[in-house]
Amino acid sequence: MKKITKILATGLLMLCLSATMTSHAQILKGGYFTVDWQFNAPVSNDYANVASGWGMAFEGGYYVIPNMSLGLYISYHTNNKYIGEQVLHLSSTESLYTDQQHSIYQVPFGIASRWRFIKDEMFEPYIGVKLGAMYTRMESNTQVYTYYHDRWGFNVQPEIGMSLYPMPFNRTGIHLALYYSYSTNKSHVLTYNIDGYNNIGFRLGISF
Amino acid sequence: MKKAIPILLLAMAFIACQKDPDFNQLSSDLIVYTNHDKSANFSKYTTYAIPDSILVLDDKSKPTYFAADDPRTTAIVNAINSEMKTRGYIEVHNNADADIGIQVSYVKDTNTIISYAASNPYWWYGYDYYWPGSYWNPYWWGWTPSYAYPISYTYTIGSLIIEMIALEDANAATKKIPVIWTAYMAGILSSNQLNINRTVSGIYQAFEQSPYIESGTK
Repeated sequence: MKKITKILATGLLMLCLSATMTSHAQILKGGYFTVDWQFNAPVSNDYANVASGWGMAFEGGYYVIPNMSLGLYISYHTNNKYIGEQVLHLSSTESLYTDQQHSIYQVPFGIASRWRFIKDEMFEPYIGVKLGAMYTRMESNTQVYTYYHDRWGFNVQPEIGMSLYPMPFNRTGIHLALYYSYSTNKSHVLTYNIDGYNNIGFRLGISF
Repeated sequence: MKKAIPILLLAMAFIACQKDPDFNQLSSDLIVYTNHDKSANFSKYTTYAIPDSILVLDDKSKPTYFAADDPRTTAIVNAINSEMKTRGYIEVHNNADADIGIQVSYVKDTNTIISYAASNPYWWYGYDYYWPGSYWNPYWWGWTPSYAYPISYTYTIGSLIIEMIALEDANAATKKIPVIWTAYMAGILSSNQLNINRTVSGIYQAFEQSPYIESGTK
């Protein structure tokens, strides 16, 4: 129920933002901004691989040539997973009995580039790639303690998406994108290791 | 461009938005941590002694205890005795006859261990630890425990520490008493009071995850 509430709240926020802009053209001529709700699924680790919608993505760019843009992006996402009681053998002499809430928090940011196939139409499909850095926090929460490891790495995200502008004279529209994200972060908590973060997901929001 | 500023501020606000996991889903169960001396040969020991009271680490200037007739003491000591006897050890009531000593402490205040060690003359002043060597042997005045593994003093309020010390291997030359096993459990409070059932479960779990504790007599 909380998840649905959050999704609805995010949607409402986007509608409000959209409503404030419907009477205007683009904020920056030749540029674009997207604000998206994000649904993300980690695919290369089982540490916290439960897909979730606890994330947002922000991007802004400028078309340096008619069909190709350069810009900046940042997003954040959390994936959690409950692990029942078990004994973890921390070393050859140490054992720990506990249940856990695993959590992975990812914040990639950097440079974004797009190639749009159609320009100034109702549908504006594109392919893109993002390159940058990514901060991760790998956490294991227990009743009493939180164990965590913060790491930085390189991030790359190929993306395919489109912007839909219901009113061609107004460049405020809906944005939808599918993405794959890989980063080089290596994390270690208790007996768990992650060597590289791989994610797939989609983004839904507004473009203006 | 002014229109973009609130949106950028909104974006910045979201960046710190890590979604906390559902902590209610974590059971109200406990955490049990154990560690031991890799070189210890638990099978060579036959007898053990355990005090009939539990040391309470609190903010008092003198040691306080759960007394022998306190139901918390009874439950904790009985659980340890049950496990030790199952593993072939024989309880003795004279410390001088014991190969192993088992000391149990309840952490009521986390500042105790750190702040009192250097300044309080009443109990472990001059010692590195809260259970003085002289408790186990009146001639061991000034003897201190020695650990073969790292220990932490950042214990949580409402936790229990059980330590097994090898009285048989106490070294007169160095005045050191080896600590061969430590069990630490947290999450044993209910409504700010020690939950006996959970504490006893924690003791059983500590032994269960320490299968190497077994006397050669078994």
